[in-house]
Amino acid sequence: MQIELISFGKLSDFIPNQNLEIEGIENTDDLKQYLEKIFPELAAMKYKLALNKNLVQQNSKIKNRDSIALMPPFSGG
Amino acid sequence: MERYQRQLILKGFGLEAQERLAQAKVLVIGAGGLGCPALQYLVAAGVGCVGIADHDVVELSNLQRQVLYTSADVGTLKVENAAKRLQQMNPEVKLLLYPVAVDKENILETISSYDVIFDGTDNFESRYLINDACTMLNKPLVFAAVSGFEGQLAVFNVEDELGIKTNYRDLFPVPPDAGEIPNCAENGILGVIPGIIGTMAAGEIIKLITGIGNPLINKLLHYNLLTQEQYEMNITPSNEYEPPISSAGFMNSDPENLTHSFTEIDAAQMNELRKNPSTIIIDVRERHEFPKLDSGIYQQVPISVFETFASAEIDAKNIVLICQHGIRSVAAAELLHQKYGETKKIYSLKGGISKWRSHFNHTT
Repeated sequence: MQIELISFGKLSDFIPNQNLEIEGIENTDDLKQYLEKIFPELAAMKYKLALNKNLVQQNSKIKNRDSIALMPPFSGG
Repeated sequence: MERYQRQLILKGFGLEAQERLAQAKVLVIGAGGLGCPALQYLVAAGVGCVGIADHDVVELSNLQRQVLYTSADVGTLKVENAAKRLQQMNPEVKLLLYPVAVDKENILETISSYDVIFDGTDNFESRYLINDACTMLNKPLVFAAVSGFEGQLAVFNVEDELGIKTNYRDLFPVPPDAGEIPNCAENGILGVIPGIIGTMAAGEIIKLITGIGNPLINKLLHYNLLTQEQYEMNITPSNEYEPPISSAGFMNSDPENLTHSFTEIDAAQMNELRKNPSTIIIDVRERHEFPKLDSGIYQQVPISVFETFASAEIDAKNIVLICQHGIRSVAAAELLHQKYGETKKIYSLKGGISKWRSHFNHTT
């Protein structure tokens, strides 16, 4: 299936926005693990996932054409 | 009322909304890139009482984005310069100044008499502290933060129509490790981005006070200047973080959740350590940064090459790390602590060179 991947802040330096083809990944926990494998910098950073614009607080099922955003914290003022 | 005539005639605003603004007390923490525009619009709009908390002095590098200050203000307290300009703009507003850094000891008392708190600070330590204090006292908190060409904005501790409220810990339960997320001094910032986000924050504060529109309750707004795109995500409670319920509990909590493995010191302690022949003081700023320090006393090893430097042995027993604001020096201290553990004493100058400027031997 295909998902839309959107990233913000420092994460967009190494994860460009893209339509990502994923196979055998059914939920957000699996996706996180997969992304941290293909983008190793991600594993060391704090960020949250949003699934179709809703903050992911627990493992959630992913469907074809879902939009997934990766949001890091900002501190600048 | 002629001063407010243009907003009084707005549909859905009127005299009642203006009266609510006049009765309101708003505390702006951080009079920097975000705080300046927020303060200007809050004061101009006629918020009755505005508190300004910031311990910093104006630096030349602030002026490209901190638009309340002039070149003549460099070296003097931000709160005093801000108050002077804001009072000229609107003498009807009462301004209260707090020229101190918020900390565990003073924050609960400082925020307790305010209706809305605005967090326009520039570091995670303050942001988690402000969030936790506001959450404990159930104070509406308008959160704004910027990075590069992007900004984030949210309203915390205000219930939606279902009675649900959230705070920053629902979004990011624990602070990033020191040095993980760069700040403006390291990453750079275009002045208009805190201008836009700080102005949007003032809009949210005015909406909360007057009850107009739909404030960003349980939502995080992300704004990208380069694409003019906005992304809004819904925040739900995480239940991972329980705020303390009493001030004693708050004092005993660790709002940073950072387990420091090195010691943060002030300038007097640094100068005391300097007398010890087995002390090395390392300035981890990049070479283009000011003020330049006497390299005979403060060895310069920019953070960009620090890892290479740290792979060689350091003879000194005491290692003091310094940088502009005391953030990069923490990252360097953590790195050295990983290498040396308890076999060397590692220190970071809290607040950095900008806080303790007069305690240094500079060359420019």
